[in-house]
Amino acid sequence: MQELLDFARGPLFRLTIALMVLGLLRVLILDIWGAITAYRRAGDRQLAWGDALRKTIAWLFPVKRVFTKRPIYSLCSILFHIGLILVPVFFLGHVQLWKSSIGLSWWTLPEFWADLLTVTTVVFGLTLILGRVGSAQARYLSRKQDYLWIPLLILPFITGYICTNMVLSPNWYVILMLIHVVSAEVIFVFLPFTKIAHCVLMPLSQFILALAWKFPARVDDKICTTLNKKGAPV
Amino acid sequence: MGTTRITAAEQEKALASIKKPDIIKKQKLNVRYHVEDYDISDRPRRFLEAFAAILKHTNYRFALEHFIRVSAKCSRCTVQCPVYLATHDKHDIPCYRSELLLSVYRRHFTVGGALRGRLLDNGELTDEKIEEMAESFWNCTACRRCTLECPVGIDHALITHLGRFILSEIGIAPRALVVSTREQLEGKTGNTSAIPVPALIDTLDFLEEDMKAELGVDITFPKDVAGSEFLFVPAVSDFLMEAETLMGIAAVFKATGGSWTISTDYFDAINYGLFYSDRMLERIIRKLYAESERMKTKAILIGECGHASRSAKYYVPVHCGGTKARPVYNIMEYTHRMLEEGKLKLKPDAITDTVTYHDPCNIARQGWIIDQPRELIRAFCPNFVEMTPNKKENICCGGGGGTVSIDEIRPYRTTIGGRAKADQIRATGAKYLIAPCANCKKQLRELVEDQEIDCEVVGLHDLIYKAIIFDTKEQKS
Ligand code: HEM
Ligand code: SF4
Repeated sequence: MQELLDFARGPLFRLTIALMVLGLLRVLILDIWGAITAYRRAGDRQLAWGDALRKTIAWLFPVKRVFTKRPIYSLCSILFHIGLILVPVFFLGHVQLWKSSIGLSWWTLPEFWADLLTVTTVVFGLTLILGRVGSAQARYLSRKQDYLWIPLLILPFITGYICTNMVLSPNWYVILMLIHVVSAEVIFVFLPFTKIAHCVLMPLSQFILALAWKFPARVDDKICTTLNKKGAPV
Repeated sequence: MGTTRITAAEQEKALASIKKPDIIKKQKLNVRYHVEDYDISDRPRRFLEAFAAILKHTNYRFALEHFIRVSAKCSRCTVQCPVYLATHDKHDIPCYRSELLLSVYRRHFTVGGALRGRLLDNGELTDEKIEEMAESFWNCTACRRCTLECPVGIDHALITHLGRFILSEIGIAPRALVVSTREQLEGKTGNTSAIPVPALIDTLDFLEEDMKAELGVDITFPKDVAGSEFLFVPAVSDFLMEAETLMGIAAVFKATGGSWTISTDYFDAINYGLFYSDRMLERIIRKLYAESERMKTKAILIGECGHASRSAKYYVPVHCGGTKARPVYNIMEYTHRMLEEGKLKLKPDAITDTVTYHDPCNIARQGWIIDQPRELIRAFCPNFVEMTPNKKENICCGGGGGTVSIDEIRPYRTTIGGRAKADQIRATGAKYLIAPCANCKKQLRELVEDQEIDCEVVGLHDLIYKAIIFDTKEQKS
């Protein structure tokens, strides 16, 4: 057991992190490359950069939305995200892990806050699932991944919380720790290939949206040629 | 503001098929709008060919790639869509509508999707899916409100726009739009309303006489004056239906001494291409621009029309030389500038009834024309009330995206598409509803009639016409 855990915390951790980073870089580069290509092909390159930037910031820190449409949902989502982003990166135990695997360390979350954010993430993760299951509209839209992601995401939070805050027999500790580490690694692997890629792609959205309406010049002729429609009436 | 949901009886009326069964069978298409006969063989294959050709030559691919990567399926867009708010039908959820096309893209144009589809043997494009798209994409009014609410930034209206474009390449597009566009690009009259030039000239002469009688001022519609500052092009239907708007505009030019002209060669700013085909959009824009070159005007000035203004403003630069292209303005920008410069004088209490203002989606959503009309209205009307929500977050009249020109779907437009708007108008209790857009005006008139709202729909310049002051002798003569 202990060896398995050491393996999961050591080589497997480094491997899955590497996969995640490469995977995220891949989608990020593809996205940006697509945008650059579109920009170069656009017949008109005046873009409302400022407007897109303003909207991007508004959605990255969606404070205003909390007070307008769907306030409860927005609040749950925001509280869920805060812990989701902060705890994996800034919890003391994780920072030690980061240091031992990639040799860098940084500021750590005070323990109280780490615990609190873990609890909020779990609780609001559950409310998000309930919200999804409870809403006919969301149910209609949901794919498998939409249901599976939140349970998968809160699993390491739950096990991590138990391991740090409860007195456990050594065996149980190892088992829970193993679940904690492996579930996190499963997340790392799948993250870039699913909707969770939004954690790096979101900041591009508003720029892509503005650019998408800037069509390339003079495509009528080309499309007609490809579709064999040259000279066809309207 | 809560939108009232339609009742079952209203829904039945709105969705009733007006089509004869034999036509549905012949065209393999059960949609509410009329379609010209087209080749029904092998639709999925031809749809995919058209999709591929469009992806190859346009910029849509990168946006679709981004959308399929980030789509969170959160269903927030429902709170914004006027169609969904009226029907509460799951098929009207913007994100669902988009998924119709995104799933085709994923299955047939991405490696992962193709692999998964082959392995599981599912997801292939079928005739049924094409029919669902043909229905769904024309239930949307392309108002782009859902985009305001999507947290990950998916533009559902862009996807609908693309979906309609692909469908039109296999022959599925509302007949009303196709026939008008054909007349505009290839017909004898060269405009969507098929107005012959002599009839145009007659109309303008008649309006000039009217203005003389009403205002006692000689006001003209300059025709074919090469080298003018503005080539003025309204939605051509204005010449038939919006005489007062045109008179208001002519009066503004008279009072401000502006240099403008109408070309009797080409006088139609309508661009249905924006609604169903980027190829037609491009052809119409190039025709418009060629006319401004021929007339050697400094700029193009579009009348009171949202989609015509948006298509010219955003696609003249795209197809006619980027920043070097002649600028495009909307008439309200001109009139507003004249007010600011003090060249236009309006009686401050010309209209004492309550007036409200409808923001046309195509000029307000992106924040282009929002304050100008409001400042103009306040200059002649002390009783201006806002609808809520308004400005960038306005609610569509219910006839957006070209649907207003499809007469056979009027019941749909005035019960479902325009439901949220009707509630809004009622709440203001206004006597006049200003809608500076040919499409919005037509839809709103039908809406207030069918929903029995006591309110008169007018253009902005219709009221300016009543408020304008000609102060100098020279202007009077
Ligand atoms: C940089 C930061 C991030 C931003 C700006 C962001 C933003 C968003 C937004 C806008 C949504 C859409 C709907 C909603 O509001 O719930 C969302 C949903 C979601 N995000 Fe993030 N996110 C970020 C990072 C992450 C990370 C790192 C994860 C997981 C590892 C994650 C997991 C999720 C999940 C599971 C959902 C779906 C919630 C549901 O099912 O309702 N996010 N995120
Ligand atoms: S564009 Fe308007 S009508 Fe169409 S789905 Fe979005 S909100 Fe609804």
